[in-house]
Amino acid sequence: MTPSAQTNPVIASREGVSLVHPRLPSLTVRPGRSSILPGLKEAWGHRELLYFLVWRDLKVRYRQTVLGVAWVVLQPLLMTLVFTIFFSKLGHFRSDGIPYPLFAYAGLLPWTFFSNSVSTGSSSLLGNSYIITKVYFPRLLIPASIVAVRLVDLLVASVVLIALMPFYRVRMGASMLLLPLIIAQATLLSLAVSSWLSVLSVRFRDVGTLLPVLIQLWMFASPIIYPSSLVPENWRVFYSLNPLVGIVEGFRASFLGLPFRWNVIIISAAMTVVFFSYVVYAFYRWEDRVMDKL
Amino acid sequence: MQPVIQVKNISKQYSMGRSSTVAPTLREALISTIKFPRKGVNGNGASESDLLWALRDISFEVNSGEVVGIIGRNGAGKSTLLKILSRVIKPTTGEVCIYGRVGSLLAIGTGFHPDLTGRENIFLNGAIIGMKRDEIRRKFDDIVAFAEVQRFLETQVKYYSSGMYLRLAFAVAAHFEPEILMLDEVLAVGDAAFQRRCLEKMKQVSREGRTVFFVSHDLMSMQQLCNRALLIESGQLLEDGNVDEVIADYLKIIMQVENSVGSN
Repeated sequence: MTPSAQTNPVIASREGVSLVHPRLPSLTVRPGRSSILPGLKEAWGHRELLYFLVWRDLKVRYRQTVLGVAWVVLQPLLMTLVFTIFFSKLGHFRSDGIPYPLFAYAGLLPWTFFSNSVSTGSSSLLGNSYIITKVYFPRLLIPASIVAVRLVDLLVASVVLIALMPFYRVRMGASMLLLPLIIAQATLLSLAVSSWLSVLSVRFRDVGTLLPVLIQLWMFASPIIYPSSLVPENWRVFYSLNPLVGIVEGFRASFLGLPFRWNVIIISAAMTVVFFSYVVYAFYRWEDRVMDKL
Repeated sequence: MQPVIQVKNISKQYSMGRSSTVAPTLREALISTIKFPRKGVNGNGASESDLLWALRDISFEVNSGEVVGIIGRNGAGKSTLLKILSRVIKPTTGEVCIYGRVGSLLAIGTGFHPDLTGRENIFLNGAIIGMKRDEIRRKFDDIVAFAEVQRFLETQVKYYSSGMYLRLAFAVAAHFEPEILMLDEVLAVGDAAFQRRCLEKMKQVSREGRTVFFVSHDLMSMQQLCNRALLIESGQLLEDGNVDEVIADYLKIIMQVENSVGSN
């Protein structure tokens, strides 16, 4: 290629391009950690990509598994069956006056949402490293897309709960109005825990091995298969520091019309907000070091 | 003339993680924290021998419309440089000022999902590399025509031949129109006819006044496409100038290395 052949068109178009460029750089890459607020703003600007990542996962799952969406409903239903046999029929667990299968299913829905989000979300940065080491976009979108997919699962499985209620002669009431808030809190907590673990599992390789045990323990520390009235009175405050206590109870109460225990719900909401804020801080602090290790 | 990229003294240091002070597992980290509580979970940093300078003190400016080739031996730091310019990793020191959108094609077809159809992958891949949905819709027909996959749009890409897959991946990338485009070894694959079309497309991109960074071991294409080249060796910028001169000097380095290997 001779220089003269190239000069003219380049100069002609250069003027057009220079109009696009502002005087200030549109972007400056510097060492040091990313700041949180611009980071969150940038992530919000990429919400279309979030939509595509969620759309991809839903589409692939729907196409791949023979059972497809049915699996989303079957997982909590089968667990409910097992728990009903072992804890209600054999173990005679109380369930706050609600038929045990309904009690367990209503508790398993938020729990399945949380535990599935966390177990897939924790390996999400590692699992998507082939993308994020090639192209830049806000990495928070990766765990966020996984939580969003699980949120769709939760909504689908909730329809089954609504269908089961007349069968057990339990009616929906005005308490359903609080459900969006409870679900929002569950989403925030799931996002916080899975983002935190996704970074941690790049740094420490044994997080993935440890996680199933921790999730199992967390389940027993939450009122899923038993009512929280089973916990001794003077342990209750300590017990409700686990943010899932408020979420599971709130979810169950708003569906089944049980009384809300506001102190538990408020403690849980506060814990969620504190933890979420910490995770956002930690995520932006560790993000760059994590990218060096991927 | 307005530069589109200003690179000011950037360096990149990696710690190789072999050091005993940086625990690779949570278990080891906890044990060392219990044994040596003052050191903290992350240890006191790696020792000097575990640190690797992938890039050292690199500075240059690029104006709009320039097509810049980056040449160097394997492991010289070319990809690290492109990764910093496209924001995937951050430099250890220095700064980069960028004026405009950056599109990086560090590997074409990033994020293609084998179970999705060609149509679906165009949208997914477009979104991942940074296109807006409207933009993808507008260019959809052009992308399909360039890739020549009209008949297979509704077929899952896992059934595509590797040529088709590649054409589609390149087509999506080539229709993304950022002010600055980074290409890493995109021409390494594909047949001669396809490579020619890719080169043609890239020339068109630079004629439109956009800036292209191009990493390749294919010196012929580089000579055709670029007007300027950077030679990187062991993380340092050895030469920055006319593409023919830089390639000539690069070949000299290779000869020297081969001679020294041969004499051993």
